[in-house]
Amino acid sequence: MLGREPGGESDSTLADSIKRMDRLPRGRHGLSPEFVARNQRDRLINGLTDALYEEGYEKTTVSEIGKRAAVSKSDFYKHFESKDDCFHAAYNEAVASIGECVRSACATEVPAEWEARVRSGLAALLGLLAREPALASLTLVEGLRAGRGVYDRYQAALEGFVPLLREGAPRTPAGKPVPTAMDEAVVGGVASMLGRRVLAGETAELGALLPDALEFTLTPYLGAPEARRIVSAG
Amino acid sequence: MLQVMPPGHPPGAQAKPTRPELSREFIAVHKRRRIMDAIAELTAEQGYEATKIADIVRRAGVARKTLYDNFDGKEELFLATFDAAVAELTARVEASCASAEGGWSERVDAGLTAFLDYLAEQPALAKMCMIEALSATPAATRHYEDAVQRFVTLVRDATPHDGDLPETIEETLVGGVSWIVYQQIRRGETERSLDLLPALSEFVSRPYRGGGVNAGTRTGRRK
Repeated sequence: MLGREPGGESDSTLADSIKRMDRLPRGRHGLSPEFVARNQRDRLINGLTDALYEEGYEKTTVSEIGKRAAVSKSDFYKHFESKDDCFHAAYNEAVASIGECVRSACATEVPAEWEARVRSGLAALLGLLAREPALASLTLVEGLRAGRGVYDRYQAALEGFVPLLREGAPRTPAGKPVPTAMDEAVVGGVASMLGRRVLAGETAELGALLPDALEFTLTPYLGAPEARRIVSAG
Repeated sequence: MLQVMPPGHPPGAQAKPTRPELSREFIAVHKRRRIMDAIAELTAEQGYEATKIADIVRRAGVARKTLYDNFDGKEELFLATFDAAVAELTARVEASCASAEGGWSERVDAGLTAFLDYLAEQPALAKMCMIEALSATPAATRHYEDAVQRFVTLVRDATPHDGDLPETIEETLVGGVSWIVYQQIRRGETERSLDLLPALSEFVSRPYRGGGVNAGTRTGRRK
């Protein structure tokens, strides 16, 4: 699922080869205990994320997570106190990986134009969510709508996008930055629209929303005509 | 709190401890309203999950049977309270938009003012509808999304139609406004919701106006 980095450096070659494996080789494989633990934890988190998406929260039991991750129940409890604990860990990693994906997409465009960076960040966001429906559902639907106490994390994740948007953004004619409430409303508006689409089961089509999301995001800063011009210029 | 008054009853009438002169119907409606107020207050205070039927009847000062005579249970009560609040809120916003003088920009301001006013006036309902409803139950999430859809339509009706705007524009605008209000409520500053008016008004109006922060002032662009 998520492209999480493996643990110890010495394991990196082996890690690459087993990245897509369901489980580690049995017996003496020479992998460091840290790597094994890290790999198990990642698999459990992926197992929960997929189970949640496919089965819903109730049916996502510790056994179900363990089965999907090929990790025993007793090993599960070495990593997490409970399903809820695993959920929180999964949520944190999911929003971190989305944030990282968007940040690096924006960074590759530096020192390009602000609007090019916004486009690149939004495209990366929509692309990632469309490719990873379980991740999209976890972060956008489960987080806010399932009331499992990750509101603060959701808010922090959204707030994390605000500086990315503000950096290099056009200022008002008086030379002042656009009010923070405006940045937040833009980020919240995009997140809300995406959440609604994911809830409606349209995750795979999120990529098609790029022109809309981009125009909406640019408009408060550049005005509607300029935003439209940039979006239609492609 | 919720304006659920029986038909034909004078506004401002209050239920008194001794009320032989009050009609059976008035008392029934009044009790129903107290139950709805109670769940709004309690969910605002402690969340939907933690709120029990016993808490609700105690807060409302009604018998358990009265609650079940009126509602199937906690979820139905929650949804009925939510729907009543949304109906009242949308009616106020619509009325405010309809009576606004000027153009679409004044309509947007009037609608937003009515919206924020209502929240400030009803902090418990605001918290229940804007925060708790999102996650209370799957049915509550659906009711919430339906309410969002009604506001999407309200914004669409209040603003000038421009075939070039993104199809999702109202959805993102409503989502953005909800998010800002959501945070205001979470901060415990619901009573000061009207402070958000200038920023939200600017945010909602911008896509319908020519020019942005670097392209002329707001009034200069108004038709």
